[in-house]
Amino acid sequence: MKTLIIAEHENGAIKSATLSAVTAAAALGAPVDLLVTGNDVAAAAQAASQVAGVSAVLTAEDAALAHPLADLIAPVAKQLAGDYTHILVGASTFGKDLAPRLAALCGVNQISDIIEVIDADTFKRPIYAGNAIATVKSSDATKVITVRGTAFAAAASEGGSAAVSAANATVGTAKVRFVRADVTESDRPELDSADIVVSGGRGVGSKEDFAKVFELADKLSAAVGASRAAVDSGFVPNDMQVGQTGKMVAPKLYIAVGISGAIQHIAGMKESGVIVAINKDEEAPIFNIADYGLVGDLHDILPELVSKI
Amino acid sequence: MKAIVAVKRVIDYNVKVRVKADNSDVDLANTKMSINPFCEIAVEEAVRLKEAGTVSEIVVVSVGPKAVQEQMRYAMALGADRGIQVETAAAPSSLDVARLLAKINEEENADLFILGKQAIDSDNNQTGQMLAALLDIPQATFASEVKIADGKAEVTREVDGGLVTLEMDLPAVVTTDLRLNEPRFAALPKIMQAKRKPLAVKTVEELGVTLSNSTELLSVEPPAERQAGIKVGSVDELLDKLRNDAQVL
Amino acid sequence: MNIYNAPAQDTAFVLDQLVQFDKLCEAMHLEEVNLELANVIVEEAGKLASEVLAPLNAVGDSNGAKLSDDKVQESPGYSDAYQQYMENGWATLTAPEAFGGQALPNVVGTAVNELWHSANMAFALCPMLTQGSIEALIAHGSDELQQAYLPRLVSGEWTGTMNLTEPAAGSDLAAVATKAVPNGDHYLITGQKIYITWGDHQMTPNIVHLVLARLPDAPAGVKGISLFIVPKFLLDENGEPGELNDAKCIALEHKLGIHASPTCTMSFGDNGGAVGYIVGEENKGLAYMFTMMNHARQSVGLQGLSISERAYQQAAWYAKDRTQGSRKDGTKIPIIEHPDVRRMLMAQRAGCEAMRGLALIAAAEIDRAHAGAAGASERVELLTPIVKGWMTEMANELTSLNIQVHGGMGFIEESGAPQHYRDARILAIYEGTNGIQALDLIGRKTLSDQGAALAALLDEMAGVEAELRAAGLDKFANRYAASVARGAEVREWILENAGADRQTMGAVAFDFLMLMGYLSGAWVMAKSAASAKALDAQESAYGAPFLSAKVATARFYAEHYLPRVEQHAQTLMTGLDAAFVLTDEQF
Repeated sequence: MKTLIIAEHENGAIKSATLSAVTAAAALGAPVDLLVTGNDVAAAAQAASQVAGVSAVLTAEDAALAHPLADLIAPVAKQLAGDYTHILVGASTFGKDLAPRLAALCGVNQISDIIEVIDADTFKRPIYAGNAIATVKSSDATKVITVRGTAFAAAASEGGSAAVSAANATVGTAKVRFVRADVTESDRPELDSADIVVSGGRGVGSKEDFAKVFELADKLSAAVGASRAAVDSGFVPNDMQVGQTGKMVAPKLYIAVGISGAIQHIAGMKESGVIVAINKDEEAPIFNIADYGLVGDLHDILPELVSKI
Repeated sequence: MKAIVAVKRVIDYNVKVRVKADNSDVDLANTKMSINPFCEIAVEEAVRLKEAGTVSEIVVVSVGPKAVQEQMRYAMALGADRGIQVETAAAPSSLDVARLLAKINEEENADLFILGKQAIDSDNNQTGQMLAALLDIPQATFASEVKIADGKAEVTREVDGGLVTLEMDLPAVVTTDLRLNEPRFAALPKIMQAKRKPLAVKTVEELGVTLSNSTELLSVEPPAERQAGIKVGSVDELLDKLRNDAQVL
Repeated sequence: MNIYNAPAQDTAFVLDQLVQFDKLCEAMHLEEVNLELANVIVEEAGKLASEVLAPLNAVGDSNGAKLSDDKVQESPGYSDAYQQYMENGWATLTAPEAFGGQALPNVVGTAVNELWHSANMAFALCPMLTQGSIEALIAHGSDELQQAYLPRLVSGEWTGTMNLTEPAAGSDLAAVATKAVPNGDHYLITGQKIYITWGDHQMTPNIVHLVLARLPDAPAGVKGISLFIVPKFLLDENGEPGELNDAKCIALEHKLGIHASPTCTMSFGDNGGAVGYIVGEENKGLAYMFTMMNHARQSVGLQGLSISERAYQQAAWYAKDRTQGSRKDGTKIPIIEHPDVRRMLMAQRAGCEAMRGLALIAAAEIDRAHAGAAGASERVELLTPIVKGWMTEMANELTSLNIQVHGGMGFIEESGAPQHYRDARILAIYEGTNGIQALDLIGRKTLSDQGAALAALLDEMAGVEAELRAAGLDKFANRYAASVARGAEVREWILENAGADRQTMGAVAFDFLMLMGYLSGAWVMAKSAASAKALDAQESAYGAPFLSAKVATARFYAEHYLPRVEQHAQTLMTGLDAAFVLTDEQF
C-alpha cells in the first residue's frame, strides 16, 4: 500500500487543502508521497518535503505546467499511478477538476469529498448537500479520492524531511491555453482555511453596510464569507459564498451576521467549532444551530464588538 | 455545431431528504423529482448558444429508467432538439455514465458537451471530467461564462479565490456552475412541441458497455444534528463566553 | 410571509381521479394530450405564478393602478410580468389552433387559471377578460373580425375588455343606453360604461373593447342590444394599431380590494363617436353574452377557490411559524398545535379541496358538452351558479379565517392577510351577484325543467355512497347518504312550493344555492376519499401521506361542512315568509 497526493501550491507554499489530504492519507497507514507539478517547482518541492508525514516528493517540471490544468496534470499522475493504491487530492476546485479526469484515465471510479477514513477501502462522504452521510467501499485497485479539507486538520507544514526527486513522467501538450486569472486580491485569510470566519447575510442591508462585517473580520484576522442571499443581492462577489453551492467552511469560530440560516447556507458551515449568530429576528433558524445567539440590530452590535475586542 | 447536454433526474431542490430507517439509503419513495439544477443550467446554456447561431443542434442525453424521459422532455421544452435515453434500472456510476456518453458520441460526433458540474443527489462532481478524459478532449469545469468562436471555446471558470479563463480547441467538455445563467421558464408552446420531438431509447447492451460499479454503498446515516446553544443578552456577555467558556478568542 | 406554491399534486389528483382526464381527452379526440402533459403544464405555470406573479400581489395592493392624462398606468412590475406571461405562451392555452392557440381542454385552462388567480387575482383579471373577448369573437365574430383581432388576442399581444354595465344598467342590462349609429362599414358608438375591468393600461400596444350598445331603431329592452368591437387604436391598412379611437378611461374606481386591477369608467364618443364594428347580427348582443356566461361565471367561482387557497397557504405557514405558550421543557408551542387553530386550518383546507374538485369537474363538463356528451350541457347549466355562488361565499369565509388564524396580526395590513380578505369580497358581487346566481339556480336551472337536471345530479351523488362503503368509510357514508336524501326532499319541496310562488322562490333561493354548494362539495370529497382509499399507497405516485391526508380532509369536510346542508334545508323549507311581514317603511 502506498499513497500519492497531488499537491496544490501557490507562491512556493503548499495549500491547506493538500495538508488536510496528508492527514487523511496518514489514516490509511501507508507511506505518503507528494507530487508537485509546475513550471518552477523548487520552492514548492522544498516546502512539500518539510510537510510532516511525507515520505517522498516527486516533481514534474515543465513550462506547460505553469498553470494547474487538469488536462496536463492528470496524464502525468496517470504515469505514476501504477505504484500507488491511493491517489488523494484536496477537494478544492483544483482537486475536483483533476481527480475525476485522472480516475477515468486509470479506468476507475472516483470517490469525492471524503470526510472520514474507515479503512483502506471504506470511506464516509456527504451526499445530498450534507443531509446524509454515505459509507462507501471501493474495490478499485487504485482509489482516486478527493478529501474535504474541513474534515481533516492540516498536517504540520514543518518537521518532515522527505527526499525530492523528479518523477518519471513525460508532460504532454495541451489543447487548453491559459488566458487569464482574475484573482480576488485580499490580505485576509482564505475562507476555507481561516480559523475565524465572519459571514454576512441579506440582513446586513447593503454593499456599503457590509464594510461593518469586514471591519469585524479585520479586527479578528478572520476571513469574510456571505450567504447566497447576500451574494445574489450584489453585496459581495460570488467567491465569498458559504454554503451548499458555495464554499464549505469549518473554522474554529464562525460568526453569522444578519444570516437567517437557510438550509443551503447551514450545509456549508455547520461543521464549524463554535457558531455565533447575530440577528434581529429571534425566530431566525440560524439560532437553532448557534452555540451563542445575540438578538439585536447588527448595525449597533458590530461596532460595539469591534470596539470591545 | 452539435452540442450534447447530459441531464440527470434528481430529488427536487426544495425537498428535504430523509434517510431510510434501515440506513440502507435515502428514502425517495413518492418524492418530487426534477431536473438537476446544474443540468438545467447546462440546457439553458446550450439553448442560448443555439439562439446565438453558434450551436445548430442540441441532443439531450439521460441515463436511467423510463422516468428520466420526464426530465428529457423538460429539456426539450427549454429548447433541446432531440433526446437519447440510455435505459438502466438505476443511475449508474459517474464513470459508467461517462462511458455511455462517450459511446453515444461515436455516432453523434458532437463538438461541445455541456454538463452540470455535479448532481445534487450524489454530489460527485465527476462525469464531465471523466467524459473529457475518455474522449481525450479539453475540459472546462465550473464555468461562469462560455464564449464559442472560430472552433474554439473561451471559458471562464469559478475557482477558489477568483476566476480563471481558459481557451480550448473543440470538441470540449464544459461543466456549469450556478451563475453561468438563469434558466428560463419553459414556454407553453414549447412544452407542447417537446412531446413531438424525437426521443430514442438505447440499452446498455446495444451500446456495448458493461456497467462496472466498483464503489459499493454500505450505509447511509443522517448527519449529526447540531444543538441550539444559548442566547446571550449583550455584546459583553458574548465576548465573555467566547473568551472564557469557548476559549476561541 | 406570503409565498405561494402551486398545489400541483392536488390538481393532478383531481384531474386524474375525479375528472378522468385521459378519458376526457379521448372523447375530445385529443391524441397528444394526456394527464402527464397536463401535469407538466400545471407545474410550469406554477413556477411563473409563484416566482413572478405572486410577489407582485402586495405591490399592486399598495400601489394601485393610476389615471393621469386619460391614461391608466398599471402597478409597478405588472407590465414586465405580463410580457413574461405572454412570451411564455400562457395566453394561448385553450384557444383554437387556427388562431394560434394550443386547443387544450377548458379544464386544463381552468387548472392553470387557478394558479394565476391565487398568485395575483388583480393581474389575472386582465387575461380572464381577454379570454371572454376571444370566446365572443370565436362564437359570433365575422371572418374578417376574427382574422383582424383573434390572433393577437390569443397570443396575448392585445388584451380584451367587456363593456356591459352602465350607471343605470347593472344587473338589469335591458336598460343599456349606449348608442350605436351606422356609419358606412362601421358604427359610431356614444355612451358611458362603468366598472370596466382593465379598461385601460400600457402593457400592450392595443386593447379590444367589446361593447353592448343600442341601435337607433332597436326594439326596447333586452332584444334591442347589439355587441360591438371597439379597439383602443384603430387598425391601419396593415392591421397594426394606428389612430387613437374615440374611447377613453375617464375615471378609476377607489375600491375595497383588487387595487392593481384598474376598474374604469369608459367614455365612448366624446369627440363624435368611437368607431365600432358589429359582432354577429344586430340586436343579438345580449343573447351572445349568455353564450359566454357559463365560462365567465365559472371563472369567478374559480377565483373564489384561488384566493382561498392563497389565504390557506398563508395561514398554514403562519400557524407553523408563530409560537404562543411554552411546554414544560421550555420549548415554545407553534399555534398550529392549538386545537382551534387546527380547526380553522382544516376548514380552509377542506373547503379548498372541495372547491378545486368542483371547479375542475364543472370545467370538464364544458369540455364534455363541446364534445357532445349526453347530459353535459344540462350539467354545466346546473353547476355554473353553484360554482359561482357557493365558491365565492366560501372565499369570504375562508379568507376571513386566515385573518383569524393570524390573531391580532391578521388585522394589520403588513401581514398581508387583510388583502386576501378585501380582494375576495368582490367575488360574490361581480359577474352576477350571488342573489342573481341563486335565482338562476332555482328558476332557470331547476324549476324550468321540473328539476330534471337536478334529479340526475342527485342520483349520481347518491351512487357515491356505495363507493364510500366499499372503501370502509361507513360513518362518512351515513352522513353523506342522509344529506343527499335531504337534497332530494328539498328538490321535491321546491317543485311543490316555489314554482307557484315567486316570493317564496326568491326568498329561499340563496339557502338552496348554499345547500347545493355544500352538498356538491361533499360529493367531490366523498369521491376523492373513496378514490384515495382505493389507490395502493405504496404503488401510487401520490404517496401515502397525500392519500391519507385526502381521506382525513374529506372526513373533516363531512363533519364540519356537511351539517350545513341540514341547516339550509330547514331554513328553506320554512319558506322564510317572516321576511315579508314588515312593511318597507319599518326598515
